[in-house]
Amino acid sequence: MSIFNVGRVCVKLAGRDAGKKCVVVEQIDARFVMVDGETRRKKVSTKHLEPLTQTVEIKEKASHDDVKKVFDKLGLKVWETKAKKTTERPKKQKLKKEKPVKKAAKKTEEKATVKKEEKKEVKESKPEEKEVSQEEVKVEEAIEA
Amino acid sequence: MPSGKHKSGRYRKVFVKTPGAKNVVHYRERKPNKAICGNCKKPLLGVPRDRPAIFGKLAKTERRPERPYGGVLCSACARNLHKEKAREGQ
Repeated sequence: MSIFNVGRVCVKLAGRDAGKKCVVVEQIDARFVMVDGETRRKKVSTKHLEPLTQTVEIKEKASHDDVKKVFDKLGLKVWETKAKKTTERPKKQKLKKEKPVKKAAKKTEEKATVKKEEKKEVKESKPEEKEVSQEEVKVEEAIEA
Repeated sequence: MPSGKHKSGRYRKVFVKTPGAKNVVHYRERKPNKAICGNCKKPLLGVPRDRPAIFGKLAKTERRPERPYGGVLCSACARNLHKEKAREGQ
């Protein structure tokens, strides 16, 4: 029987939970155990655990709440995952950045339309003058003839 | 003539071939030394070898391993430290 029996308190050696205390909840096979406590509830290789002399009375496959009760008596905090709400995340504010660009584009469009109109007016005015001038030339030619 | 700062050895030379088929010398800052373990002095894995300006662009998780003492001790030395602490506490 290995030292990693159910209820054995261990310290985790590897990974981001390293240096934290945990309890063996279930023996899966000769190499792996299920662990819970200050660490995340996880299937772990016994090579990543340092067993302590301390043991705790726990049923096999004890739930996270049972482990929490035992750890509160020992004065240790239990790992708890906080589910993030979607509203907590800051929304991407891309739209606000795009708005001034759109306004600028509109302004340029407006300017462009104004310019076009002016050009049209100029164009309209110019051909009239030309026609007048041509008529005058015709009249002059007629007079000469 | 290279200016004084280019002769101090702080910069490394890079030979660049220009579009006009000339070979030109460019100067770039040298990379820092590899990060080493504070205990056994072996090079650390998972720590990129780059200048601090480029480190600032990386995510925090890309700069060092995400375990306690990550980026300071190698994994073997960190394990030994945790073992010692666990045995002392008993």
